[in-house]
Amino acid sequence: MSTEPAIGKVAAFFWRDFAIARGYRGALVLETLEALFGVATFYYLSRFVQSPELNSELPAGTNYFAFALVGFAFFDYLSVSLSAFDSSLEEARQNRTLEALLVTQTSLAVIIAGSAVYPFFALAIRTCVYLAWGALLFGFRPQSANWLGALVILLVSILAFAGLGILSASYSILFKRGNPAKWLVIGVSGLVGGMMYPISVLPAPLQMLARLIPVTYSLEGMRGALLAGAGWRELFPSIFALLVFAAVLIPLSFAVFSWALRRTKITGTLTHI
Amino acid sequence: MPSPAISVRELEKYFPPALTGWRALTHPMARATEKALVGVSFDVKENEAVALIGSNGAGKSTLLRILATLIIPTRGQATVGGFDVERESADARRLFGYHTGGDEGFYARLSAGENLAFFAAMNNLSRADTRQRIETIAELMGIQNDLSRQVRTFSTGMMHRLGLTRALLHQPSILLLDEPTRSLDPLAAAAFRRLLKDELVRKGGATLLFASHTLSEVEELADRVILLDGGRLIAFDSPRKLCSATGTVTLEAAVSSLVSHLVPLQDRV
Repeated sequence: MSTEPAIGKVAAFFWRDFAIARGYRGALVLETLEALFGVATFYYLSRFVQSPELNSELPAGTNYFAFALVGFAFFDYLSVSLSAFDSSLEEARQNRTLEALLVTQTSLAVIIAGSAVYPFFALAIRTCVYLAWGALLFGFRPQSANWLGALVILLVSILAFAGLGILSASYSILFKRGNPAKWLVIGVSGLVGGMMYPISVLPAPLQMLARLIPVTYSLEGMRGALLAGAGWRELFPSIFALLVFAAVLIPLSFAVFSWALRRTKITGTLTHI
Repeated sequence: MPSPAISVRELEKYFPPALTGWRALTHPMARATEKALVGVSFDVKENEAVALIGSNGAGKSTLLRILATLIIPTRGQATVGGFDVERESADARRLFGYHTGGDEGFYARLSAGENLAFFAAMNNLSRADTRQRIETIAELMGIQNDLSRQVRTFSTGMMHRLGLTRALLHQPSILLLDEPTRSLDPLAAAAFRRLLKDELVRKGGATLLFASHTLSEVEELADRVILLDGGRLIAFDSPRKLCSATGTVTLEAAVSSLVSHLVPLQDRV
């Protein structure tokens, strides 16, 4: 398949999901308000936990509100990555479009990639809403931000997380419901990835564990770029680590997903719910 | 001699048994022991209409799903348009249109036109071709005035016609249809049969393999009939020859006679 039709097909997936989401305008309004409540919660929590000890653990030039807001907003990328692929598969099984898609002339790779484009786009909008609420109402001021650096960190993070997401979808296509791998990754990442607190406060073994998961590098890089205005030299370790995760996880996840799909074609359970 | 449009050789399919509780976790790796198809062989010639008949669980849908590249056979080989459905599935998918009478699989919040345009894009149709194909086939199916309606407002019969429209969008030369007139009212079913026979098979030169429980439909559409029972091919011949071979006058009587004896016809000849 040439690149051009593949891009056109991914665009078709995007417009499909955009058109469906457009039909639920009320949900968009509610999600925007929900983001406001989330940001407000972090703001008042940050005022409560403000202390010299805590500030000494935070990266230079930041406060706990900005630290937690960035952590919360960008941890969502991991959650969405882990659920975007298997949610779209689950939905396709439920509305019985999976078989219809699999008998078309579209490769599995394009179906997987296409199904995830809109969820990531919607998440990018949501992230902007979070940051906008923080800036408009609660004094979040990323004045020295390296926006291009943040964008690069975001893109390589999505690649690394997507590998985990496709692995998660492989479990889902085989076993249909319940996904312990997803909850394990989110649970461990939430605990040691540095979403709500710097990993320096963790015991040494957990700090070592934190170095084995991509979200740690993603949040470090994002905070560096957005809050400390870090340059490319400072961001390089995070970018490199995330690229290594992506280089390992993307091919591995495609191989595992292809195997899982083949098993379901053998067992005849492709469309089972 | 031209190569067959569909060729099936010693096809076998076994499924793992259904497991419950904790044992269900081993289901994807469980040994396939439940028989669905055994030693099925046949050829469908180009531009031929062949019906698959048999009781529920006879293996008709499994056979169609194997040909549609949705299920991998346990043993044997099947080709569509000369392409092996397991090893060359992408090539095979270019040539066939697949439709099941029950599970339509559309995005309920999108209009019929948006749904068709999406699946046309998945089948590599350009925008111009998409527009033209949708207009042409929608008119044939009688849904040309409903393309802007959301699919969730469609009746079962309308959904069914939309599914058939989708299967025909990329001008497939081979049609695999599982109970194509199920849930259509009698008039719509008759119109659809005429469309299949006159427009697609006679004028369009398409090859048709379809499963049906309606024997009058089979007699009207099919050049030859495959009778499956318990996953085995019991008979494969024209309706007229099946009747004469069994000494009966209707296809229904011929099928009853064959199934009650359960002796493969070719073994008896």
